[in-house]
Amino acid sequence: MISKKNVLIVLSSAFVLGLLWWIVRVVPLENKHQYIPQVMLGERIDFNRDIRPIINNKCIACHGGVKRSGGFSLLFEEEALEVNESGERAIVPGNVKKSELIQRITHRNPEYRMPLEEEPLSDEEVALFSRWINQGAQWEDHWAYKAPEKPDVPNTDEGWAKNEIDHFIKAKLEEKQLSPNPISDKQSLLRRLSLDITGLPPSLKEMQDFLNDNSDNAYEKAVDSLLASPAYGERWAAMWMDLARYADSKGYEADRPREIWKYRDWLINAFNANIPYDQFVMDQLAGDLKPDAIDQDFIATAFHRNTMNNDEGGTDNEEFRVAAVLDRVNATWTVLQGTTMECVQCHSHPYDPIRHEDYYRSMAFFNQSADADVPSESPVLISYKEEDDLEKLAQIKNWANEHGEEGRKGKYYTQLLRLGVPKLYAHYFYQMDKGLPIQGTATFKVNEKVYAFTKGLSFEGEDRLVFKTRTNGDEGKITFRLDSINGTEIGAWKVKARFKKEFNEEENKEVTYYLNEVITLPIKPIIGKHDLYLVWEGKDEVEQTSTFEWLMLHHALPGGDKENYPEIEQAMYSLFNSEKEKETTPVMVDLPANHQRISRVFEKGSWMVPGDEVIVGVPEIWNPFDKYEENRMGLAQWMFSEENPLTARVMVNRIWEQFFGRGIVSSLEDFGSQGFAPTHPELLDWLAIKFMEDLKWDMKKLMKAIVMSATYRQSSHYTQEAKEKDPLNEWLARGPRLRLNAEQVRDQSLAVSGLLSKKMLGKSVMPEQPEGIWQVVYSGTKWETSKGDDKYRRALYTFWRRTSPYPSIISFDAPSREFCLPKRIATNTPLQALVTLNDPVYLDAAVALGRRVLKNEAADVDKQLSLLYSYAMIRGISEEKLEDLKDVYHQTETYFENSPEEICKLTGEEDKALAVFTVMANVVMNLDEFLMKS
Amino acid sequence: MSKRIDLTSEYQYRELQSRTRRHFIKQCTTGLGGIALGSLLGCGRSNPTNTQADIEAFVRKQVPHFAPSAKRIIYLHMAGAPSQLELFDYKPELAKLDGKDCPQSLLEGKKFAFIQGVPKMLGPQAEFSPRGNSGMMVSDNLPHFSTIVDDVSLIKTMHTDQFNHAPAQLLLQTGSPRLGRPSMGSWVTYGLGSENEDLPGFMVLVSGGNTPDAGKSVWGSGFLPSVYQGVQCRSEGDPVLYVSNPSGIDGNLRKQTIDAINQINEKEYKEFGDPETLTRISQYEMAYRMQTSVPEVMDIKDEPEYIHEMYGTEPGKTSFANNCLLARRLIEKGVRFVQLFDWGWDMHGVQEREALDTGLPIKCKPIDKAMTALVKDLKQRGLLDDTLVVWGGEFGRTPMQENRGGKEWPFKGRDHHTEAFPVWMAGGGVKGGFTLGETDEIGYYGIQDKVHVHDLQATILHLMGMDHEKFTYFAQGRDFRLTDVSGKVVSKVIA
Repeated sequence: MISKKNVLIVLSSAFVLGLLWWIVRVVPLENKHQYIPQVMLGERIDFNRDIRPIINNKCIACHGGVKRSGGFSLLFEEEALEVNESGERAIVPGNVKKSELIQRITHRNPEYRMPLEEEPLSDEEVALFSRWINQGAQWEDHWAYKAPEKPDVPNTDEGWAKNEIDHFIKAKLEEKQLSPNPISDKQSLLRRLSLDITGLPPSLKEMQDFLNDNSDNAYEKAVDSLLASPAYGERWAAMWMDLARYADSKGYEADRPREIWKYRDWLINAFNANIPYDQFVMDQLAGDLKPDAIDQDFIATAFHRNTMNNDEGGTDNEEFRVAAVLDRVNATWTVLQGTTMECVQCHSHPYDPIRHEDYYRSMAFFNQSADADVPSESPVLISYKEEDDLEKLAQIKNWANEHGEEGRKGKYYTQLLRLGVPKLYAHYFYQMDKGLPIQGTATFKVNEKVYAFTKGLSFEGEDRLVFKTRTNGDEGKITFRLDSINGTEIGAWKVKARFKKEFNEEENKEVTYYLNEVITLPIKPIIGKHDLYLVWEGKDEVEQTSTFEWLMLHHALPGGDKENYPEIEQAMYSLFNSEKEKETTPVMVDLPANHQRISRVFEKGSWMVPGDEVIVGVPEIWNPFDKYEENRMGLAQWMFSEENPLTARVMVNRIWEQFFGRGIVSSLEDFGSQGFAPTHPELLDWLAIKFMEDLKWDMKKLMKAIVMSATYRQSSHYTQEAKEKDPLNEWLARGPRLRLNAEQVRDQSLAVSGLLSKKMLGKSVMPEQPEGIWQVVYSGTKWETSKGDDKYRRALYTFWRRTSPYPSIISFDAPSREFCLPKRIATNTPLQALVTLNDPVYLDAAVALGRRVLKNEAADVDKQLSLLYSYAMIRGISEEKLEDLKDVYHQTETYFENSPEEICKLTGEEDKALAVFTVMANVVMNLDEFLMKS
Repeated sequence: MSKRIDLTSEYQYRELQSRTRRHFIKQCTTGLGGIALGSLLGCGRSNPTNTQADIEAFVRKQVPHFAPSAKRIIYLHMAGAPSQLELFDYKPELAKLDGKDCPQSLLEGKKFAFIQGVPKMLGPQAEFSPRGNSGMMVSDNLPHFSTIVDDVSLIKTMHTDQFNHAPAQLLLQTGSPRLGRPSMGSWVTYGLGSENEDLPGFMVLVSGGNTPDAGKSVWGSGFLPSVYQGVQCRSEGDPVLYVSNPSGIDGNLRKQTIDAINQINEKEYKEFGDPETLTRISQYEMAYRMQTSVPEVMDIKDEPEYIHEMYGTEPGKTSFANNCLLARRLIEKGVRFVQLFDWGWDMHGVQEREALDTGLPIKCKPIDKAMTALVKDLKQRGLLDDTLVVWGGEFGRTPMQENRGGKEWPFKGRDHHTEAFPVWMAGGGVKGGFTLGETDEIGYYGIQDKVHVHDLQATILHLMGMDHEKFTYFAQGRDFRLTDVSGKVVSKVIA
């Protein structure tokens, strides 16, 4: 029997509890999460896990960086909490009732219900929002914008794991109820390792040594030796060249050649020297700004001179200069921070908390570089090659070191000659023609009827004006005046033509060719900003024009009172005008302070509509940029601050992807909230911290840690279980099985056939290419097949023309390198099959491999075919596959017996065996297993 | 063969399961889903865990968005930009201004590629007459074309943003003046796939001695997977790169070697179970079929004499006429997008070839004949109804005579002009005998029904059954579309 008292207690407690529940739910108590125990507010909501995905999928398209419907945006916390156009607040932390957001997502009237004209949010999603608001609407930064913290290494079964990486992987495998594959067989493993680290298959000897080495650290020895191989630098430079958008041509219409191979060589050497990643990046972003920058530091900065340059007649140089600067912003953020900045060019980031002006704050870092889309690609670092030139350069340097004052010693003059910054280009000038000011393009002209001027030039007491000009006569003089055509004359040049006479076959007479000349003119030193006018003076009716490519102000060589002064000035003149062989590399050099550009926001991303002025800076969401120099060097150092959340994560992820074919974050280019979430977040952070702290940014050691793991060493067989549960190998219950990349496909064929040249570095080469590939307008450039060994260099040395890249490389998914490509997508197409079946380069390789087999006095066909397979795959052939090969061998033999005339056609020799083995080699070099690494 | 059948079905299953990109194969059967799946997932959208449901939802959202009126396109791009004032835009007023100084109002704030200072006006260098039942005004430079005007929609008021060839060609073909975006043909094949298992879905034919100014990027795939890039057919050497066997290897031996490769690959598949191996087997089979089908379709020798007569074709030569005939043959085989480029229309008047009164008629002659033959031939084969033919340059030319270097040139030429240029379309659901838009009395500006290049792209996609605003691809942190952020379907030209 239940007593009344008990009933009363139960009822009243129920009432009190109910009342409390009602209060919690209904009473408009703000910040009630502060007063009500956690247990009543429900399980803790994780913003990044539970709320952000709903916002990004359902809300942010209308309430984000692009649109702010109703004045409401969910991009930044402070915006989300603001009062909206309706006068309501969408989110009132702790108060569901007052939060307009909840009212609107649950509204009965579809005209008011959000998301508008879409399916309403599910009950669970509404509940998640309500609970989150009740719990105080705690905002959290996206995971990738918080600095990594070192996670504990999970404790998993010791038997399988070889290092810490494996514990992270194993923990996930257990969670997913998957079991790892056993360690791969030694042959597959060494081939995989060698291709991954050096881009080349192991040699037979390397394989034999490895197979014969039964010591515990045999594998580690192989890893160390491959990492020490010079081929390592070539393989990883090729990877970085996609990111640097390296090409041997300038892009756009004529797509003329560009000499920038020294940057490629810098990459190879940097990888081989294993310079730490922080140094590696700082040199490329800002090597020129190092206090005692040497040539190699300047060459490293060519990273950002791989932007395209538009030589097409009539294009606006400023437009394409800006395009190059914007490309630098995009590449910097994509490559080094895994952040998609492109969309912020036009408006605030639609998904990530990056503001429109942040883009232009980034741009300001790159906006001071002296390049200006001129055909010469200036500034280029000139390396004189001829003894005579080098001697003169040394003379000038010594002279200035001896006589010059501080700041104007040898370096000032060698840089003037070798870099020449800042030049005033033709497009900074207007030529006044029939009353219309016409902007110069590649050149501007001055003659009897036309004068030219540039505005607001900053003088700092320079007493020399040097300019590059060409004139077709010796009449009169050109005066240089301040502020008007009648202004103060600061210098005058007695016009004098430089020319050569040559017999012209077509016209059958001697023809005069007028030549460019760099002329140094003494001027009156002045200080301050002035317009500069160039005016011709002389007698009337003179048909003569001087065209100018650039002008530059500088200080005269010191020691004017010394006896040898004319000689040293002459040395300077002759270096400015030297036509002897020299090497040039476009580099980054900032404008001096008095020539710097003002950086502005571009409204809606258009350079034609400049808005507010901005100074350098980074998005707020990252670590602060307050203790760094306001230039590229500062930016580089900021990236390597311990607090930077992305630098290390992005790079370890990139290297991981190179080994496993898939990043821990599979969107290598986007760590933002629209990118993929990491499959192994703890491992990513552990690797990032290890890379920064323990390894001090040592890339080889990072790679070693990865390849030493049991995860990497697994066999790549698909188990039925894995096929169902993990078709993409996200959880790594098997080793990677990937197609070789474009460079490796070529290099491997040349390597196993013995054709591959060992030569490293130097100018790009032109291996065999079908006729008629290069048909680019307005450009006389021809593909001239390289001679000798240079036909068989590694693929990364192939001349890379952007509008017409090497066909077989493109077939295998290499990009055209117009922009940086963070990740190649591996396709599998019939055009690839046609390349490896029929491209003469691959046929050459087949002939060579066939010949290599026949050199051995193998006893019978079985042995010969096995040998062929072993040369290619660096392992023995299975009985079954050998049977297949034998079948086609006999078919081929019959074919050549019946059609002996085909033998010579195929190989150029009357050797049936060679023809048969050429076909056999062609078969083997088209096998799936040959094109893949297992 | 039963083993092979198993492999094929497993392969198809795998298509629905995995993210590896491929194309060509089985598009007739798995259709659009297969392609969209193949190419979308790797770079997929926001979702950290793309589930099957997400994928299906995505595919459902994809193309076609509505019933297409055109299944295939032949795009005839006259690289260098033909002069509208000597072909399609009849301007008697301009003749009266011939030789007079250009008014300042047309020069202020404008950029030209080569015009400097104050140029002179240049009257039309051709006679015009009304043609066909519709009375469309066409110049005497195009006598053949004049006979098909009643099958054609002419847009006289195209305009663009770019006054240099390379950026303007890119804007027209990729929607952006900068390099790096997918071309129209890539978008279309990405969306609709190919109707032929033996040929690529997007093929390119070039005549006039040069590739277009913007290079191969005008048929590049940009950020779309490289399988969607245009495959250039060549008239000398291999019709498609490396499609011929090395000399000394005949078709039979090639078949035997590919069979051997595939047999061994099947063993490899049994051992490793990697579905990529199955794809490779199919692709080698496809490669073999291409080795036969490509030379076959590219060999025009067997066409009847009256066809050669009609087009003006000469087997074995590189010419626009040959390319027009090839375009028809490729379309017949189910190729989705055939892109022709003909170089040599950039008539500045710097040399005689570029003179509008003498050079242009010579340039027009074979082009007029061949493009007309193409439309007629498609029509007589019943293909014109669902094949869209588009013709045009990347911009127009100025009503002023070019005065490069501030001089007068001996030949009559015109500079680049962005404000008004013509494009004509035929078949594929567009009106016949219809002229859209009008320009001012000197042909400088469009004054009625202006059509931007993005509008043209939107219209082409619309005719193919695609909504240009919904047809997007996520790359570099955002959704991209062919028409960038603008473009309106020109419904007036749609029948």
